[in-house]
Amino acid sequence: MKRKRTFKHWIFILPALILVISILVYPIFYSIYMSAYDWNLFHSDAKKFLGFGNYLSLFKDREFLHSLWLQLGFIVIALPIETIIGFFVAILLNRDGKFYDVVRALLLLPVFVLPVISGLTWRMLLQPEYGMISFILEKLGFGVKAWLAEPNFAYSMVIIQDIWRMWPFMFMFIYAGLSGMPKEYIEAAQIDGAGLWKKITKIVIPYLRPTIATALLLRLIDALRIFSEVYVMTGGGPGNSTLLLSLYINKQAFEFFNIGYAAAMGVILLIVALIIAFFIVRGNIQFEGEKG
Amino acid sequence: MNSKKFRKKFLSTLLIIAILLIVFIELMPIIVVFMNSFKRDIDIWARGPFYFSFNFDSYKSVLSNRDFLLSLRNSIIVAVVSTVISIIVGAMASYGITRYVFRSKKLIAYSFLIFRMIPQISLVIPLFMMFNQFQLRDTLTGIILSHMSFNIPYVVWLLLPFFAAIPRDFEEAARIDGASEGGVFWRIFLPLVGPGIVVSAIFCFLMSWNEFLYALILSSTNARTAPVAVNGLLGQYAPKWGQLSAAGTIMLIPVLIITITLQKYIIKGLSAGGIKG
Repeated sequence: MKRKRTFKHWIFILPALILVISILVYPIFYSIYMSAYDWNLFHSDAKKFLGFGNYLSLFKDREFLHSLWLQLGFIVIALPIETIIGFFVAILLNRDGKFYDVVRALLLLPVFVLPVISGLTWRMLLQPEYGMISFILEKLGFGVKAWLAEPNFAYSMVIIQDIWRMWPFMFMFIYAGLSGMPKEYIEAAQIDGAGLWKKITKIVIPYLRPTIATALLLRLIDALRIFSEVYVMTGGGPGNSTLLLSLYINKQAFEFFNIGYAAAMGVILLIVALIIAFFIVRGNIQFEGEKG
Repeated sequence: MNSKKFRKKFLSTLLIIAILLIVFIELMPIIVVFMNSFKRDIDIWARGPFYFSFNFDSYKSVLSNRDFLLSLRNSIIVAVVSTVISIIVGAMASYGITRYVFRSKKLIAYSFLIFRMIPQISLVIPLFMMFNQFQLRDTLTGIILSHMSFNIPYVVWLLLPFFAAIPRDFEEAARIDGASEGGVFWRIFLPLVGPGIVVSAIFCFLMSWNEFLYALILSSTNARTAPVAVNGLLGQYAPKWGQLSAAGTIMLIPVLIITITLQKYIIKGLSAGGIKG
């Protein structure tokens, strides 16, 4: 059904659009502008035009490359583990009953716990002597240590913290997909005499692939911009062993006040996020309304 | 026959034990926070993790801490105001996009979806400069605006399928009855997308309540929100874990209530784009 052209929709769209332009779109362009300058807040009068200079220096900045590497490692380790745990727990909990409803609700709690509380809690658990995890490690014979002062251990704990918090997120998506799967799929396989492993790899995984892909992309974009948990847990330390990308940008911008340089890193992160967003959006088009 | 039955029973018991174990491990850190909130700071340092007490000193210190109370008040104001405004303008935009036919429709819809994905750290640098310029730094208005930058696109995105699912007939009928454009939106559509409004309100509130980075950078003493204040309890030399846990438990109350009671809406909310600003 074609309708005659009106401009009435703008009355509805404009308030949101104006707000979003002033607090999102304009700032982004402003930050692209900033990224073209050698700009330090301590001597802002001496702002110097560099063009792409900041972007070029990034490739020679070892600390930046290091933080990129840590960020990549974080994503590559945490996300598959979260997916695998989420997947198997979803299979385990794909049953009806009040008990399972309650269990599913409880498992989802960590996802919504404030990132700050989560990071601080893990920091507390890892305090030498009185932290629960340190205490257990001590009893297991690993000695008394300030665990978060060990670079590799701190990095692992940041990842474990994220896995703890976020596998239920993957679980929830996979469970939702699984509970919508027609029973006949499994029954047909049973008749063919397929074993459990075959059922999972040949039927369940292919069926869930789009669900898992969407959930993973959402996780990816969140993992890419992780900040608060790590900031309160380790502050990026010891040294710079947990200085993930957002933390390094924050450090350049608000500790060294190199805002031009930090803006350039922000723009790069933004571009990567937009590429991922493009793939999410492509799989999520459902606003066209009913046909006709 | 009997042994088969026994085997089945054994396996299902094993399954339940495994599930309870998973739940226990998963909730352990939250339980520790809760338990520690009933200990004094000194007990936590001195008596090891398995010392139990039921002492309200930490709550008393936190609830008589003016800075923390101010930050709690700020958090509530920021979360409520940014949620309400985002829902109103977001629902209007979502309605405008789905219910009218116009050329830039797709462009506008996609833009909102993509705005949702902008990393906070990329945005906070220009916002910091702008807020300094417009005297918005360390004001509640500034923090509310910054939170709306992730809440508005979220509401628009989440509500699109809700508005799109409503049959045209509803609209036509209302128009024949002589309802105005605004009337159709407020009286016909808004009630029909009620569940969508509930989901987006929950998520906006939670995202705003949990938000840390904007508050950390864009506020100092006046507009500081509770997550920043909680982190501040860490102190320079002696972390006040008891008070920190008490404050954390207080912050977790709305989160727990929301996640447990509104279970059925959550998956819908999660699919619309993560849980972070």
